[in-house]
Amino acid sequence: MLGGVFHAATLFLVAAGLQLVFGVQRIVNLACGSFYALGAYFGFSVVTWALKGGMPQPLLLVALILGGLLLATIGLVVERLLRFIYDRDESFQMLLTFALVLIFEDVIRFFWGTAPYQLGNLYLVYGRLQVGGLTIPVYNLLVIAAAAGIAVLMGWFLARTRWGRIVRATAENRAMSEALGVDMRRVYAGVFTIGTALGTVGGALVVPATAAIHEMGIDLIVEAFAVVVIGGLGSMRGAFVGALAVGVLKAVAIATYPEIEMLAIYVIVIAVLVLRPAGLFGRATA
Amino acid sequence: MIRRAALVVVLLGIAGVPFMGGDYYTTLMLPFFGYSIALLGLNLLFGYTGLLSFGHALFVALGAYTAAYMTSVFGILHFEAILLVSVAVALVVAVPVGLLCVRYVKIYFGMLTLAFGMLFYSFLYKFYHLTGGDEGIRVLRPMLLGQSFPALGKVEFLTGPYYYYSLALLVAAAVVMWRVVGSPFGLCLRSIRENPEKAEYVGVSARRYRFYAFLISSIFGGVGGTLLAIPTGLADPLLAYWTHSGNLVFMMLLGGFANFFGPILGSFVFIFLQDQVISLTQYWRLVFGAILAVIVIFFPHGLMGVFDPRARAGG
Amino acid sequence: METTRRKFLGLLGGAAAAAGGLGTPRAHAQAGPIKIGVLPIKAGVGALPGEYGLRGTLWATERINAAGGILGRKIELLVEEESSPKDTVERFRKLALQNKVDVIVGVISTGVGLAIGPVAEELKMLWLSWDGTTQKGVDESMPKPKYSFRSVDNEAEAVMSSILTAKYFKGKFKTVAGLNPDYSYGRDNWAAFLAIMKKYKLGVTPVADLWPKLGTTDFTSHVAALQQAKPDLIFSSLWAADVSIFLKQAHAVGLTANTKLVFPVAGLVHETLKKAFTPEGMILGYNSMYFDMPKPSPLLQQFTKDHQEKYKEWPSYESDHAYFVIAAYKAAVEKAAKASGGKWPSTDQIIQALEGIEVESLSGTRRYREDHIMEANFYQGITTHKNKYDFVTIDPLEVMSTKQIQKASGIGLYEWIESWKV
Repeated sequence: MLGGVFHAATLFLVAAGLQLVFGVQRIVNLACGSFYALGAYFGFSVVTWALKGGMPQPLLLVALILGGLLLATIGLVVERLLRFIYDRDESFQMLLTFALVLIFEDVIRFFWGTAPYQLGNLYLVYGRLQVGGLTIPVYNLLVIAAAAGIAVLMGWFLARTRWGRIVRATAENRAMSEALGVDMRRVYAGVFTIGTALGTVGGALVVPATAAIHEMGIDLIVEAFAVVVIGGLGSMRGAFVGALAVGVLKAVAIATYPEIEMLAIYVIVIAVLVLRPAGLFGRATA
Repeated sequence: MIRRAALVVVLLGIAGVPFMGGDYYTTLMLPFFGYSIALLGLNLLFGYTGLLSFGHALFVALGAYTAAYMTSVFGILHFEAILLVSVAVALVVAVPVGLLCVRYVKIYFGMLTLAFGMLFYSFLYKFYHLTGGDEGIRVLRPMLLGQSFPALGKVEFLTGPYYYYSLALLVAAAVVMWRVVGSPFGLCLRSIRENPEKAEYVGVSARRYRFYAFLISSIFGGVGGTLLAIPTGLADPLLAYWTHSGNLVFMMLLGGFANFFGPILGSFVFIFLQDQVISLTQYWRLVFGAILAVIVIFFPHGLMGVFDPRARAGG
Repeated sequence: METTRRKFLGLLGGAAAAAGGLGTPRAHAQAGPIKIGVLPIKAGVGALPGEYGLRGTLWATERINAAGGILGRKIELLVEEESSPKDTVERFRKLALQNKVDVIVGVISTGVGLAIGPVAEELKMLWLSWDGTTQKGVDESMPKPKYSFRSVDNEAEAVMSSILTAKYFKGKFKTVAGLNPDYSYGRDNWAAFLAIMKKYKLGVTPVADLWPKLGTTDFTSHVAALQQAKPDLIFSSLWAADVSIFLKQAHAVGLTANTKLVFPVAGLVHETLKKAFTPEGMILGYNSMYFDMPKPSPLLQQFTKDHQEKYKEWPSYESDHAYFVIAAYKAAVEKAAKASGGKWPSTDQIIQALEGIEVESLSGTRRYREDHIMEANFYQGITTHKNKYDFVTIDPLEVMSTKQIQKASGIGLYEWIESWKV
């Protein structure tokens, strides 16, 4: 079960990125998986470089998060590109992000090749915990805590801060916000970059416990979609609950009926879309 | 008049490829035929009805697996029978899927179709006793119009009788689609795309018409898939993967969705461009991604939009 | 096209022979380079063995060309890409029809192999596969292939590991768990293992049956399931980056400490099996090539050295498959040319020469059976930490030939296992 939560944690981060961007900009960013993959590879490189430079091992998490955040600057570049088509049909925006998926795949291949990258047992530097009859690496718990922390942070940010309110207002009613004097360009740039950061940090955090492997983003997109659909497009809470649902479902399926693992997720996606198209927490738009 | 003449010239050119183009490029035209038919269907949904499906590969895969089952498992080699069953199978699947999907538009439609496509992919992969799993199912050489051409090797068969059969199918499919979009039904679709509320007001049920469009597009997808499967000789789950649907959309956009012939042009350019680029560089995905980005940003009406900016599909 | 060029070459050779000297290299070289089409996987999880295969091909080609080529003709490689069955069939056709290569090598994945086989036959294109031969491929879905030469049965490594399991772990385990990639290869290996356990009457009970998707990076749920099931032995045909991820995560929770592990094919990624999380006492398979042989052949030594220098990595067995097919082709061409009086051989003659041919490969002697299936030695053993690397190697090393672990032609795998005398 806890394994499912670990997976859910990273899935949440990527889905949250998707949600934020969709909620505010109405763009379905297919490249969120690519950001995840980029974050993983870049995170690996940053850690390897930092360790060579003498960084003490326990600073692993810090290096990863910083690496992820640093990489998120490409979000600014991508957003500039997307700016060309803000006024177009949603489908076109989705297509542009599909183009990005293709481009990023080869960008990753160009810089890192197709071999997998791993950090070995580095993540055990935080030790292990005995809970019940199970042993859990503390790193996994830290990642879960980090994801939860980010979730809380985002919630607080959106609800309490002025900037957060602007973001939410823009999500509700773009025209009105603009009329009230909000600088759309800055909001969009900021939102997209934060969305990117969520993806890249998610990818970076995953690497020590697993690996950076080729095409890891392409497979994740489908799961991220499932999360977003189940939770409801545009809702942060939805991303949280959806990620948990998918993660736990996978864990349960693996333990009981491995055959239906992926199928079960799609069936639930379709069921949700049919019965409650807005998802559990989304706003109803048909 | 010029349009008609241009069409005839193009058709003659295509008919002449087996004599001039060399065996390989002739065989490369075969997926062009298959994809063109599938794209005619996809564009009915997008260009005319305004629905972007990211799961069209589902029907393409269905068509391929139908061909596989009919030939390898049931031993039925008559291509006409296979095509008919393909149509039937596509319809059977499209009815429930379509009923569910057409309730939604835009992004939800796209995501729902993507989900169905991936559901089918998972099914193909997991239920390996039925579908062969990752190994797929063989597609045997069919009989065309009752003839099996025993004297011809597979390559001669593909570049000869099968080539012209596929071309004829494409022409037939295009004629059918032309009639469909030119009919009152087609007009209704366009009105729904432009302004659904108004259409409803005038008594045109948006949902019903979208559903019909979905059914028709699924048939074209299935037939296209069947055509694709023969040259490959194998139906495998990757045909249903979401990136395959993405490629279909890419082709449609490349050619131009606002023009009837756009998708066909897109299919042609994509296939041949991909062939050349793959041999040139291992970073062909980057090249294609860049091309798609350029199209989406600067040339949303695709190549047809560049060649013929006045020609819109009936407005 | 093909026949006219052959005829032309034949004339050329004849003329040269008449002029003096039986088909001299100079005469052959006038016909231009030999074109070999290569189909490695370049994307996804398969890119790893694909890359190794390409390296073996490059090394073989460089050496052959440095020594003057095949009968004086240099080899020119045309590298395409193995991806989906449909796309790979198109690349194969291009190499055959457009580039008119002399032979095509490559292909690792089973599904693609099943699609390519018939295409090779219909194009009359000589195809030497690196890998990916399943039960289905070897059975009669493509009876008596003429132009296709397949690799060793996929299950051979599982068979060898199962035999070694019986040898080393007999009496030490009762419950087993399977952790195999969720596709035909994983299924076939697990089934073979269970069948052989049954044959040896070890009284084994499967308690868990896990099928992670190929390319999974997160095994926490699988590890948890295994912890619950508490098997005495885990059999796993994982071969990609996932092996080390699983071992890492399993080790972190203490699973690797008290469970017997049997990993028939994880030697592909042997350098990622770091001592930090890979235990000793595990049965590990290196397929047909083990880089750290106690008495390596000069060829293997040279390859290992060159590979380490160029790629900063220790070599992996897919390179051996790739090397073998090139070496076999060269030997077959030379043998056929000799038999036909120095003329450049036709494809049919090359095929005849390939059947039963034996060459020295990176891993020792390898050959093609008359039914176009490879025969080689397989190397597996018990892992040890006593070496100079940061990853595990094997000691003792067990060597078995495909005569012992691969079924003969004409018999089904399970039939054959049944027929064993144990």
